[in-house]
Order: sequence, then C-alpha cells, then structure tokens
Amino acid sequence: MATQSLESLAEKLAQKTAEVEVLRHIASSINSTLDLDQIYRLVLGTMDEFFGFRHSIILLLEDTDTLRIVASHGYEDQPLGGTVIVGTGVIGTVAKRRRLMRVHNLGRQRAYFSTIRTQMEEAGRTSELSEVGPVPGLADPESQIAIPLMIKDKLIGVFSVESREPRSFSDDQETLVSIVANQAAAAIQNALLYRAAEERRSELAEAHEGLRQLSETLEHRVHARTRELEEANRELRETQAQLVQSSKMASLGMLAAGIAHEINTPIGAIHSNADVERRAIRVIRDVLEASALAKNLRDDPRLTRAFRIFDDMNRVTLEATERVIEVIQSLKSFARLDAPDLELADLHEGLDNTLTLINHLTKDRIKVVKDYGELPKVQCYASQINQAFANLLTNAVQAIKETGTINIATRQDGAYAVIKIADSGAGIKPEHLDRIFDPRFTTKGLRVGLGLGLSITYRIIENHHGSINVQSEPGRGTIFTIRLPISRSA
Amino acid sequence: MNTVVLPDEVKPVMQNGVPAIVATCSADGIPNATLISQVYYVDRTHIALSFQFFNKTIRNVRENPQACVALNDLQSNTKWILDVQYDHSETEGPIFDEMDMQIEAIASATGMSGIFKLRAADIYRVESCRKLGATTASSGSS
Repeated sequence: MATQSLESLAEKLAQKTAEVEVLRHIASSINSTLDLDQIYRLVLGTMDEFFGFRHSIILLLEDTDTLRIVASHGYEDQPLGGTVIVGTGVIGTVAKRRRLMRVHNLGRQRAYFSTIRTQMEEAGRTSELSEVGPVPGLADPESQIAIPLMIKDKLIGVFSVESREPRSFSDDQETLVSIVANQAAAAIQNALLYRAAEERRSELAEAHEGLRQLSETLEHRVHARTRELEEANRELRETQAQLVQSSKMASLGMLAAGIAHEINTPIGAIHSNADVERRAIRVIRDVLEASALAKNLRDDPRLTRAFRIFDDMNRVTLEATERVIEVIQSLKSFARLDAPDLELADLHEGLDNTLTLINHLTKDRIKVVKDYGELPKVQCYASQINQAFANLLTNAVQAIKETGTINIATRQDGAYAVIKIADSGAGIKPEHLDRIFDPRFTTKGLRVGLGLGLSITYRIIENHHGSINVQSEPGRGTIFTIRLPISRSA
Repeated sequence: MNTVVLPDEVKPVMQNGVPAIVATCSADGIPNATLISQVYYVDRTHIALSFQFFNKTIRNVRENPQACVALNDLQSNTKWILDVQYDHSETEGPIFDEMDMQIEAIASATGMSGIFKLRAADIYRVESCRKLGATTASSGSS
C-alpha cells in the first residue's frame, strides 16, 4: 500500500516536473521574440502539443466594448478578425468580470436556457429577450476555460481553450492555462508596445521624410520664385530702359521735327536763291556772248575766273542745301512722329533713313553695301523698327575700328521679312555671345554705352513677334539676322 | 442534525449535472419539484443553489428548510440524491460572484441577460448523499 502510494507520488512528481519544464520552455520561447504572430503560434501550438488543448483562441481588447480574435488554433473555420462584445458569452463575461471561468456541460446548460427562452417566446415575452449573435470557437463546446490576459490591473485580452468533452478540464489544467496565460499576457504586451514603438518610429520617419520633401519643395519654390522675381525685375528694368529710350527718342524726334521745321524755310530760301543765282549768271553769260560791245569784257581773264569761282560756289551751295534737305527729311521720317501706331512700313526706307542719319559715322572709312531684295511693306511700329536698325548699324560702325564694310541684305522668307546686317568689325567673343542681349551688358566700357542698345533691340523684335539672332567670329565680324512677320497675324 | 462529507466523485457531477432537480415542501405539506440551473460545490459539507426567481422553491425553503437535490451524472448515466437543509443566503462574496458569473455567461450567450439574474446564493448543509440505489459517503455525522 505504501509502495503504491510512493509510486503514485513519484509518477505525479515526474508529471509535474515535465509540466514545469514545458512551462519554462514556453516562457523562454515567447519572451525571446517580439513578433506577435510568433508568440501566438508558440502559445497555442505548445498548449496543444504538450497539454492537449486542441482548440484555443486569443482575443485582444480593441476598445472598451469589443474583443477581436487575433489568433486561433485547432479550428477549421475560425476567421481572424471576428469580434466578441464585452459582457456576452463566456469570453465576453470573463473580459467584463476580469476573472477566470471554467465551465462544463455547456451543451446542456445552453439547452436548458434555450428551453426557457422558447417558453418565453411562446408566452409572448419576446420583448424581454435580446438577439443572439455568433459566438467564436466551436459550435458545440462542452467545456471551456477562459482567462483574462491582464497586465497589472489592465485587461488586454482573453485566452480561451475549449473542448467537446463534457469534463475536459481539471483543476490542474486550469492552473496550467492560468500560468501560460499570465506569461503570454506579458509577452503580448511587450510585443504590442514594441509594435506601437515601431509604428511610431515609422510614422516619425515618414513625417521626417515628409518634412524633408516639403522643405525641399519649399526650397525649390523659393528658388523658382526668386528666378521669377529676377526675371520680372529684369523685364521691368528692360521695359524701363526701353521707356526711357523711347521717351528720349520721342523727345529727340520732336526736337528734330522742330529744328527741321525751323531750318527748312531758310534752307529752302538759300537753295532757291542759289538756283536763281545760277540761272541769273547763265543769263549774264549769254548776254555777254551775244554783245559785240562786251567782247573785251568776255575775253578778260579776271571775269572768266570770277564766273568759274561763282559756278563752283553755286554748285557747292546747291549740293549742300540738297544734302541738308535730305537729312531733314530722313530725320522726320526716322522719328515717324506722325505715325506712332501700327502701320505698313517700307523697311528699305527705314534702313536708308537710318543710314542717312549715321552717314557722318560711316563716310570715308566704312563702305555700306546694300543688297535689298523684294520686300512687301511690313506691319510694324516703324519708329521702333528704325530704332532697332539704328542700334544695330551704330554697333556695326563702332565694331569697325578703322576701315571696313557693312553689308545690309534683305529678302522675304515666306511670311517673314529677313534683314541681315553684317559688319567686318572686331566680332564678339564666344563667352559674350549668350549675354549680349542682356540689359546692362556692354563690352564698350561704361563711358561709351549703357549696354541697353541690343537689349532694347531684342525686346522691340520680340514685341513684333519676330526673332533676332547673332553669329560672330572674333576678328572677322558679326552678323545680326532679324526675322519679322510681314503681317501681325503671321 | 446530520451532516455528511461529500465524496470527491460527486464534485464533477455538480459541475456537469446541470440542470438538477430540486424538491421542496411547503409548511403545510404541499410538495414541489423543479429544475434548477446551478448546483455549486461550496465545500465538502455544503452546496449552494441559485436563487433567481422568487418561486415556489424559494418560498418553500424559507418555510421549510428541508430539500432534496437530484444530480444527473451524464458520464456514468447515474443519479445522486442529496438531502440538504437551507442554511443561509449570500448576496455577495466569492461564492455569489462565481455563480453569478456562470449564469451571466450562459444567459448572455442565449439572449437572456435580463431574465437570469442571480438574487442570492442559497447555502445548504448536506445531510445525506447517496448514489441512486446505494447509499454512500456518510462519512461523518454530528
């Protein structure tokens, strides 16, 4: 009898030792990872493998009223994500009371309660009854242990095992489940905290990246905006310079027109008088030729010399006055004060007038070669176009240090008039070519030019929807090519 | 006043024998038998019955404390008969909480949370306990 008792005790001791070993293994395993899914698998799998808990489930508290299934073992159709309302059924009641519950003979208990329910329904007391929702786990369990997963006093979930056997779970098994549940609660909580920290870290990293991108975008925007402002500022300065230049041209034009008007009458009188004088001398000479009395006078060398001198002076006077009249006419035509609006203009006339006005710069040292093609009249602001021609021709003259040639060629290219002004001057350095249309850019030195001529020319051509480009080779000269639409609808 | 010690083998029958049948008798001798949802093992000499409705059973044991409980052992297909005497009622404490929790769990799962509400855990002293057909476990008396 005593031997049997000792054997029984030894057997129980061995079993307890094995259980402790398994519990130590579970604790060690689930505490060595922060992967929630791995913790669930370890807990549920080990409980089945070593203690025979075939059907188990872990639910976590989602909010104060709801538990959500996060892991299950031993079910054929137990979908994860299913929910249990706190306070409903065994699991919900355990969550509500925060106390372990072991129940047996669930089928008969349910049947008993259901019988009462049926009787109440037959008695018409349905208003006292509430709807029965789906319960997670086995459809026909007989035994169940549900234990709250607690961290200190805080509920984080419920661990439940169940069986179809009516007396499946003993006191010892209840203790085992309780121990494992406590260990699992700690491991799950650690993993949840780690996951939350990881999510927080990930969110922070995303926020940081977002901020970095925003900062980069802002930087780009600032750069872009700065560029826009610089461009606007440049355009403003160009427009301002052009306005100043236009104003100066207008003032100059008005001044020129006034001077021309004042000079025109006396120079006309001088020119007319010189012509009268020329004809009067011719009459005197004819009279002397016809008169026998004047033979001696006619042969007098002093008189002959006086007539020659007079003829020469008269010719010079006539040529000089004609030149003055031509200049005055060009000046009036160049300024075009009478036609400030869009008009059909003869570009050749504009070029000729401009050449007349800069004649003092070209004569004796620069040969101007004109190669005018057939050009229809061009719809433009003639005074502005003349200003552009004047700027280009003045530049060409200044580029030629001593003697040289300026070639002016025109032609029609479809809907465009093409004007090419080439000089044999010093040319432009390649590094300056990209900047010559920039305002304030000049290679002439501050005392020579403001650097606005080409910029204004560029803007004038651009305003006419045309284009201007430059080709240059240092030491060989520069070619400016203007393309102007013949009609503004082009 | 006899008191017996409950044998170990009856404890799982209580856990699994629900519903049990309880028979009482009024002061003027009219008997009553009904199903009861829970028989709770308190200790080796006491059991607790759930008091949910103020019905004939409750009225009878308040008049006449003697009662008889029949437990069905589903595993062995046998019955246990317990003669018990009403001792007192508990409306709080671990026994009450345990019984209340079990009732709430099953009632809420069957849509009857508002119907089954434990009013009290009625504690009974066991006077005799026998397997049907054989008297057993009368291991003590006083």
